[in-house]
Amino acid sequence: MNELFLFISRSRAFLIFAFLEIFALYCVYRFNNYGNAILFNTTTSLVAKAVKTQNAAIRYTKLNDINESLAQENLRLNAQLLQIQNKIALDSNNLKLDSAITSRLTLQYAEAINFTTNQRNNYITIDKGTNHGIKPNMAVISASGAVGKVKMCSANMSLVTSILHSENLVSSKLKKSGTLGSVKWEGLNPKTVELLYIDIYEVIQKGDTVLTSDINSVYPRNIMVGRVKSVKKGQQFLNITVDLSTDFKNLAYVYVVKDALIDEKNGLESSINNPKK
Amino acid sequence: MTTNTLISNLTRLIFYIGIQIVFFRSLVLFNVSFCFIYVGAILALPKETSHTYLILISFVTGLMVDAFYNTMGMHAAAMTLIGYLRPYLLLLITPQRGYEEKSEFSINSMGFIWYITYAGILVMIHHFCLFFLELGSFSLFFTTLLKIFSSFLFTIFMIIIFQYFSKK
Repeated sequence: MNELFLFISRSRAFLIFAFLEIFALYCVYRFNNYGNAILFNTTTSLVAKAVKTQNAAIRYTKLNDINESLAQENLRLNAQLLQIQNKIALDSNNLKLDSAITSRLTLQYAEAINFTTNQRNNYITIDKGTNHGIKPNMAVISASGAVGKVKMCSANMSLVTSILHSENLVSSKLKKSGTLGSVKWEGLNPKTVELLYIDIYEVIQKGDTVLTSDINSVYPRNIMVGRVKSVKKGQQFLNITVDLSTDFKNLAYVYVVKDALIDEKNGLESSINNPKK
Repeated sequence: MTTNTLISNLTRLIFYIGIQIVFFRSLVLFNVSFCFIYVGAILALPKETSHTYLILISFVTGLMVDAFYNTMGMHAAAMTLIGYLRPYLLLLITPQRGYEEKSEFSINSMGFIWYITYAGILVMIHHFCLFFLELGSFSLFFTTLLKIFSSFLFTIFMIIIFQYFSKK
């Protein structure tokens, strides 16, 4: 018995090392999956406070760019509003849409207080959480396009899985032809993504618009993803590189999309998947 | 370890972690070159630090950095490894005169060549461990190698710069 203790005492450095290393590797395995929550992260209260303070300081240096992009967005929205008003005026029979459909989607604005663009898996921390009605799996968009989806929430913070994540695929379509594909980040350049599963016989030109698809389970339909940058022929599918419309390096404000009918939709779908319940 | 050295080491540790989080976290060159300056704090811990404390300090440092990078466990794993390996490396690259009683591991006291070997080996192990853990597979092997080497150069360069600044 005494020798056992002696042995432990002699090799305690190795034992502590082995224990901590295994614990760390277990954390890597357990918490860095696409589906799983992260134990300590930028929504943990102390860390969140630190990044928020840091962001507040850095923000001043970016105010010009932020103002510029907000002005651009206002311009775009005003133009759209005018168009719609004209359309309504032209419509002689004033049809009223069901409010369940017209008010189905609502937006919650949030500030991106922390984000990375160069890791293999990138996350964005936003300053709104369950207190503001945000739940996991909601879509996050910016003025210029899709951003990601909510991974986990604390009371006042949320962690968003960016499109720049190795396992975050976005169901997308080409605006012109409506062909469906998946957008996936290849891991190096934060400005481009790959559009996968587009058949080799499709005719695609540089500059074609890529939008989120209608069968998307996260994003609302027709949210801008980007524009086709280059097309190359592959074995079975085309290798398409897409320029992202969202500038992930200068993210400032984002919108979280709340879908009023999401619970109903999920309930229906799960009742199909588990018919016994 | 006297209270004085304890405080000075603790201050340095906090300073390095702080500057990593506040400054170097958002500084990435050409999308591939990262700087993990906080490794320098572990390199600079005095020789008399006991092996178990060294491992524990490395682990906690890694965990703190992890929280800010949203990479639970990756920095911790890499740091624990170099914390464990440091005493063995010191035995391996003992200078001819041997270590003095209270050796400070800096360019000033140990010489440039010795320090580069020491820091280079540990930083390289750290970066290899970190980037391949982050990758999770071998799909982007050469990109990752590029990331490792460019980050290695950046980190070593910054560690040396910081050495000259902290010279008394």
